[in-house]
Amino acid sequence: MQRYQYPKSRELFERAVKVIPAGIPGHLGPASGCFIPVSAYPFFCERAEGTYFWDVDGNRFIDYMCAYGPNILGYNHPEVDAAARAQIEKANCTTVPAPLMIELAELLVDTVDSADWAMFAKNGGDVTNLAMLTARAATGRKKIVKFVGGYHGVHPWMLDVGYPGVLYEDIENIITIPFNNVKMFKRVLADHHGDIAGVISTPYDHQAMNENHLPADGFWNEVRQLCTANGIVLILDDVRCGFRLDLRGSDYHYGFRADLICFCKALANGYNISALCGAESLRPAISSVFATGSYWLSAVPIAAAIRCIEILREINAPQIMKEIGDKFADGLIKVADEHCFELRVTGERAMPILTLGNDDSNFLLQEWVAEMMMRGIFLANHHNIFMNCAVSDEDLEQTFAAAHDAFETVRKNHPEMYR
Amino acid sequence: MYETVKASINLHAILRNMEDLCQLDDASAEAVGDRHVSIRFSVPEIDRLVLTFRNQSCQAGRGDEIPYNMNLRFSSPEHLNLMVEGVKNPIPTKGFRHIGFLKDTFTFLAGQLESYLKPDHEKAATDFDYLKKSTILTAYAALYAVPEIARYDETGRKLAGKIEDGIINVTVGDDFGLHLIAEKGRLRTIKGRSANARTAMMFDTFETAFGLLNGKLDSYTCIGLGLLAVRGRVSMIDNFNKLLGMVPHYLS
Repeated sequence: MQRYQYPKSRELFERAVKVIPAGIPGHLGPASGCFIPVSAYPFFCERAEGTYFWDVDGNRFIDYMCAYGPNILGYNHPEVDAAARAQIEKANCTTVPAPLMIELAELLVDTVDSADWAMFAKNGGDVTNLAMLTARAATGRKKIVKFVGGYHGVHPWMLDVGYPGVLYEDIENIITIPFNNVKMFKRVLADHHGDIAGVISTPYDHQAMNENHLPADGFWNEVRQLCTANGIVLILDDVRCGFRLDLRGSDYHYGFRADLICFCKALANGYNISALCGAESLRPAISSVFATGSYWLSAVPIAAAIRCIEILREINAPQIMKEIGDKFADGLIKVADEHCFELRVTGERAMPILTLGNDDSNFLLQEWVAEMMMRGIFLANHHNIFMNCAVSDEDLEQTFAAAHDAFETVRKNHPEMYR
Repeated sequence: MYETVKASINLHAILRNMEDLCQLDDASAEAVGDRHVSIRFSVPEIDRLVLTFRNQSCQAGRGDEIPYNMNLRFSSPEHLNLMVEGVKNPIPTKGFRHIGFLKDTFTFLAGQLESYLKPDHEKAATDFDYLKKSTILTAYAALYAVPEIARYDETGRKLAGKIEDGIINVTVGDDFGLHLIAEKGRLRTIKGRSANARTAMMFDTFETAFGLLNGKLDSYTCIGLGLLAVRGRVSMIDNFNKLLGMVPHYLS
């Protein structure tokens, strides 16, 4: 199998660093994106379609990162793009919004089990921040409880001291406890009785760098009951899982009802929009919060979101991604086993994280992912991956073939493992 | 607390560097000559440092058990910091016959060290030997400072607490390396690379390391350009790198 090379990507990156700090900042870049080693990875995309993208060097990738989630139906989905094009012919960013906004809110209220209303913004962090403000506005309290490893965006309160620019004052009202630990949550409730405005969490522990953990039996029901009993707003950050596990919301998927639920990534198949949905009881509070942005109500992403959600409903997308995820995980585990590697696939099958047993340094995982990359399979060595509805059985077979080759190469590079 | 952290860095990262200065810099080794002076630095709240000069070399030691023949007492961490800045003098309480060494040789060595830690960039551009020595001494200063920040600084303690147990290698090409051992939120810096690291930060050349350590390059850009590579437990490197990023706050 021929291994990819990236001369044009490198050339462009050298041009980029002259005018853009870090060249490609953020999670799409080689540093935060954990491109290890960087020589194995493409930096720039030329075009995309379905589950594939082609880099500027003409290499095709089966992309299991899906732009970190937004690609859910397949890149450049013709119907979603047609809806966006039709709207751009009419209007996009205007002084008063298009009525399409109402249509999307109605669609979300009809689709998401816990939604009585919907508000729109651009990124996941916009709506997790809006949810935090709403919880404080509703309760008149300061403190927010979150869980270890939970990523909610890049506002200072969502991060921690040690991140450049973040102050102790930014996080002094944030309490972080381990996921699945109800006992600890009860202790926090006792220690801060009457001070806690909200609890924010992802539906399960899908933190980066480590194996992921599903909610323990009864965890969410107990958290829900404790929040209700103590007048605390329960915020579900469904930015990453939203519409991949259940179109009715990941709270529905796990059998509870959130007060506020945040969506973004899969909402419009790549068009930039996020949404906060919530319970009727919080309508007055969120109405009082001052939150807005120049592009928050732009009509083109709204048109794309409507068509995207309609299609997701028509095809029962979560079921499709679960089935693809099961085939993907089972197939790769089998291939790994044939080469004497223990591939561990944790989290939900529609968006699992891959780790290797007997690899506490991650050296082997990083080598294997790099070998996959150079064979046209875009995975991650640090983050959960994502299934999308366009992955075919043929794509999976190509993935398994590349995995055979990649595991074989890693194995040859580490004869010490087999002495 | 700022003065305490800074003083611990000044002692156990900056002054400790006399050991390596005497190995790398001929003029410094010559200045020490055949004299035998062991200077103990006694600063409240901070582990003591003993610098033993003898046979054209220097050995740094930490703790109360190391023999010394000159004691310098400081009334506070701030007092030590002001001495390092050349504003205040220490209070000798033992070894008055070595005052001459302190005034002449030690002051000369401090000047030599400063010339490497605050490098002349024009000279470094044309003199690789100078650049290499400057990089090594700056790397030692920064990487010995990290455990002090992890121990005394509030944010540093929090970051160190997030670093999983294991070894972090920091290397420059094939020529130079050291490693840090993380154990239960404490860090120790050891010279030389380890064969058992869980994670590694690898500079391709001394030029890259020089640029990064002196704030002329940034690590994100260097990673993209392939000048700096990381591998292994990224969460360890991430928190270690945040600690490293705090060093200039205390040394500027």
